[in-house]
Amino acid sequence: MGTFIQLVVDGLATGSIYAALALAIVLVNQATGLINFAQGGMAVLSAYLAYASVQLGLPLILAIIIAIVLSFLFGALVERFLIRRFERGDPDTAVVVTIGLLTLVTGICAVLWGYNNLGFPSLFPLTSVEILGAVVSVRSLATAVTIVVIMVVLQLLFLRTKLGLALRAVADNPASAAFSGLPVGRLLMVGWGLAATLGAIAGVLVAPQLTLTPGMLDTALVYALAAVILGGLTSPIGCVVAASAIGVLENLVAVYVPLIGHDLKIAVPFALIFVILIVRPQGLFGRKVVVRV
Amino acid sequence: MNAAAATARRPWVRILLAALAAIVLIVAPLALPAFANQTLVRIGVYAVAVLGLNIVMGYTGQVNLGQIFFVGLGAYVTAYGVNHGWNILLVFVAACAVAGVVGLLVALAAARLGGLAIAMVTIALPIVGVPLAKRLSEFTGGSQGISARFTDAPDWSGLDNDQWQFYIVLVVAAAAFLLARSLVRGKYGRAFAAVRENEAVAASMGISPYRTKVLAFTIASIFGGASGFLYLAAVQYTSPETLSFGHSISLLAAMVIGGAGSIAGSLLGGAYYVFVPQLTNAIDPNLTTVSQGALLLAVLFLLPGGLVSVPRVVRRLTRRTGAGRSTGRRSSAGPVRETSQQTAPAHRPVPDDALEGHEQTERQDGP
Repeated sequence: MGTFIQLVVDGLATGSIYAALALAIVLVNQATGLINFAQGGMAVLSAYLAYASVQLGLPLILAIIIAIVLSFLFGALVERFLIRRFERGDPDTAVVVTIGLLTLVTGICAVLWGYNNLGFPSLFPLTSVEILGAVVSVRSLATAVTIVVIMVVLQLLFLRTKLGLALRAVADNPASAAFSGLPVGRLLMVGWGLAATLGAIAGVLVAPQLTLTPGMLDTALVYALAAVILGGLTSPIGCVVAASAIGVLENLVAVYVPLIGHDLKIAVPFALIFVILIVRPQGLFGRKVVVRV
Repeated sequence: MNAAAATARRPWVRILLAALAAIVLIVAPLALPAFANQTLVRIGVYAVAVLGLNIVMGYTGQVNLGQIFFVGLGAYVTAYGVNHGWNILLVFVAACAVAGVVGLLVALAAARLGGLAIAMVTIALPIVGVPLAKRLSEFTGGSQGISARFTDAPDWSGLDNDQWQFYIVLVVAAAAFLLARSLVRGKYGRAFAAVRENEAVAASMGISPYRTKVLAFTIASIFGGASGFLYLAAVQYTSPETLSFGHSISLLAAMVIGGAGSIAGSLLGGAYYVFVPQLTNAIDPNLTTVSQGALLLAVLFLLPGGLVSVPRVVRRLTRRTGAGRSTGRRSSAGPVRETSQQTAPAHRPVPDDALEGHEQTERQDGP
């Protein structure tokens, strides 16, 4: 029972990382209708920026804040100068652009910091506490709680502020939003900046555990995409639920199903996807999108 | 120059040129050094993989990030078959068939969701594939990989190994290119193009987008399997590293840089896949990824048709400047070009279609 609780909490912690990335992907998709395959790569760049700031002698928390601010700017600039040109065009071309961006960002990290694993200091103490007889690491708990808090803040931003209303308007209908006098271009930049911020937080939270490499989040990106498919592109809550479920499920399966084990646990969400795509193609929580021609 | 272009479009000139190219390809390996032959062989291997990717992505418009998985699958099946002493033709058929069946199953599920779901599902293939290949060590040799030699030149031929491999790759790749060319110019090619441009319109014309996507993806997987067979013929060894995520991205970059929606572009893509990493590795291995990303983005911005569209872009630019200098020359050159296009529309429709197609979707999607 102790192991079980431990596995569930650890699963929720990794699941929350996937959830943050998945939310960033949904945020971008809602605003611009494309999937940003570079979301993970950009998050890795943010983690490297935090690492570089720490190397300069700054305290960790300040380094993370600097990385988050820079990530916001980077996301906004990427939207303005790279994605804008392909936004209203063929979505497949735009996807290839984000893949090019992923390659470019990964390459930049590799040139600047190399391919060797770098240790990243943890924001949270590495001790553990006992809950219901199970030993649970403080880091897992704190990671999950941090991500939940950020999601609540984001939800408030979207539902309770004028900026959030404007962002939703642009996502819903860019043309009408422009007619009502909203600066659509700038709001899209803010949307991409927010997504990059979310990714940055996920990046710095997971970096101590995975250690920094340019491809650190490639696997996490795949999990996040799985969560996006399972939760449905139209449903942020669905994505968070799906991401947490994937995190917990893969941990349990890795330990309790020896046939799959730790090396093949990444196949779990995709086996799930195959079943769900056949049975319920719009995702667990998504709406069926009917396009009128 | 226009006269030369017009002559080049005459059927007998084209046949002559094709025959000349065939003779050069058949004679070349006998004259070239072994290293050049090996490089050409590798270009052929990856050109077939890029060609398959082009069918599903360039022609049908479905982003596929998992093509390398099928190359690896084909390579593993080949290694397994050769090591168990199967007939080599049977091995080839098995490599294509296994990749095709797996591709069919993946596509049946992935194509259910519209739009970008195929991209989101196929990105998982190489990432699941690597640990899977390590796990199934009785078939794949685990992390160490597996080797199989079956392409040593037989004694009666009097050829060196690299020459023999060249001919194997040449035969299979030529067959693949001719098949793909016929495919994209026929009924199915038009169905692919219809689905790429507008799924609703395709459906209204009686073309099922779902079935067309599944078909295109399956064909791409079969080409991937064939490429895997050739990979093993050329390299004689495969390991989980063959189907890594990075290679899958490189394959996609090669296709876009060579020219999406173009048969000749696939060949250029294969050349890119082999040459550019060799070049950047020689300068600094750390630069490989960053240069690939920068090149891919540069091509998307400046040359959406890929390398294969360079002659067309150059021709357009020169014609524009020529028109600025003297209007008389343009009026004499214009009709020649138009009539030649009218009389021979089937000769070069593909790259032009691709370019116009993208513009059209832009207009349709605009608010």
